[in-house]
Amino acid sequence: MDFTFSEDQLLFQDSVRDFLVNEITPERLRAGWETDTGRDPALWQQFAELGLTGITVPEEHGGLGMDAVDFVLLAQECGYVALAEPLVNHALVAVPLLQDIGGELAARWLPLAATGEARIIAAVEQNLMVEDAHVADLLLLEREGQWFALEQGQFSCERSESIDPARRLYSVTVQAGTAPIVEGARANALRAACLNRGALGCAAQALGLAQRMIDLSVQYTAERKQFGKAIGSFQAVKHHMANVAVRLEYAKAPVHRAAYAVAEDASGAALAVAQAKLMACEAANLAAKNSIQVHGAMGYTWEVDLHIFMKKAWALANTWGDAGWHKQQVAAVIFADGAALGAGATFQ
Amino acid sequence: MKVLVAVKRVVDYNVKVRAKGDGSDVDLNNVKMAINPFCEIAVEEAVRLKEAGVATEVIAVSVGEKPCQEQIRTALALGADRGIHVEAEGRIEPLVIAKLLKGVVEKEQPQLVILGKQSIDGDNNQTGQMLGALTNMPQGTFASEIKVEGEKLNVVREVDGGLQTISLSLPAIVTTDLRLNEPRYASLPNIMKAKKKQLDVYSPADLGVEVTSHITLVRVEPPAERQAGIKVEDVAQLVDKLKNEAKVIS
Repeated sequence: MDFTFSEDQLLFQDSVRDFLVNEITPERLRAGWETDTGRDPALWQQFAELGLTGITVPEEHGGLGMDAVDFVLLAQECGYVALAEPLVNHALVAVPLLQDIGGELAARWLPLAATGEARIIAAVEQNLMVEDAHVADLLLLEREGQWFALEQGQFSCERSESIDPARRLYSVTVQAGTAPIVEGARANALRAACLNRGALGCAAQALGLAQRMIDLSVQYTAERKQFGKAIGSFQAVKHHMANVAVRLEYAKAPVHRAAYAVAEDASGAALAVAQAKLMACEAANLAAKNSIQVHGAMGYTWEVDLHIFMKKAWALANTWGDAGWHKQQVAAVIFADGAALGAGATFQ
Repeated sequence: MKVLVAVKRVVDYNVKVRAKGDGSDVDLNNVKMAINPFCEIAVEEAVRLKEAGVATEVIAVSVGEKPCQEQIRTALALGADRGIHVEAEGRIEPLVIAKLLKGVVEKEQPQLVILGKQSIDGDNNQTGQMLGALTNMPQGTFASEIKVEGEKLNVVREVDGGLQTISLSLPAIVTTDLRLNEPRYASLPNIMKAKKKQLDVYSPADLGVEVTSHITLVRVEPPAERQAGIKVEDVAQLVDKLKNEAKVIS
């Protein structure tokens, strides 16, 4: 089988990268921190015009009918620019969840998701705080094994601070008397699938963030001079970034493999996603740590853009399951009775 | 009205270009390539004319090696209806490109040809004017606004110190300046549709043109490195330096 990305998928990535790099500048991100919602409706409209809001919406509802494999490279690009808008949640998590829920709810909201008229956000109890609840036109919320479909007015939310100034986190309270839409075993299955997709989205963004921190560090170390030479020419500096580059390359295949497992709804998807999130977030974490080192004291300052990407990487590492939780997922598979171990089973 | 748009494959404008070690050319290894920004503006203008109901068909043409088809596909994704690739090897100088485009113009008989005013690699600013001379079509260069009115094309040109408006008889040639429009991004559905659009490939011989070269690239050098700044002691020293060293005040 050929697991390389198709020409179309790579073209999409190129096109979306051009758009995001030109439009989502660090200056624009910083300006977003100062606004009430921290989100930009005009930018969401541009996503819709490019087809991004409908990328995973089925064609019969006006979307492109694509899957996690098609979106994973785009999620990487969203990470590369530290995108604050909830596009990854909307396209990779909430829209597929809405499809899985089906029925009248899906028939009503999927066309609106495709055109960008509705931002759909999915959240599970494990995350404690709901990111972007304040701008969700439809919030699909899991609490105590029950799923709720909530429009604005059907829930209240109280903002909490995040380490990442671009994140808008809310503690959400469902209006009393609101009936759940899914309960029981099916609700648990939806939560598991949702967690996989959410963690995959974090992993893919972590790859982009790690790459951005490498690029920023390479640029800085090529310009910053000491002893008459660019500091990037010194081995001790070079090796810091080379280690990150190696870690990043090793993290890419697990993330892409996890995207395939999620798209195929494979039985080993949870394991593949757990491994992917662990490796990608470790790469991003190392990128943050080493980038601070090579930037010297400047790396800590507000005016240098590095912290924008670093803080997002730290935040993503602890959402949709932190490292401990994902290690437990891997451990549960390894230590299960009769578990098949080795290549193709534990390590894929 | 049929509109022909020329697109050139160049190094992406975000890439910091480097000369090869031996100075023989710019190093294109592992460098991202893209449509020349001025050509992208040309495509956008043609697509806008079509959306306004003025143009009936937009044809994107590129001259060069096979990878040029990537840029034609991009133009198709931006809204062009079909593409033409004139496959030619090596470094092709503006006069030859103009002759090849003339061959395409004779085949397609467009009412309007839109080109970028120059490419960001060669910076020649010659092809549009040469095509005008070869086809005997009127030309409006450095356009910042164009408007079709019947059989006439009004072009606002960016000239030194201001704007000049001219009226051309169609068919005509326009070269685009930076402020003509702001190109759109290709949407994902249009990228998918672009793959299915027609792309014809011609050789220079098909167009009756012999590819010859009159120009030899002798050497490529990076610009001189900027010198580090200095801190002056006081205003008097600053004024002295501006007057006697930089010679920017008298």
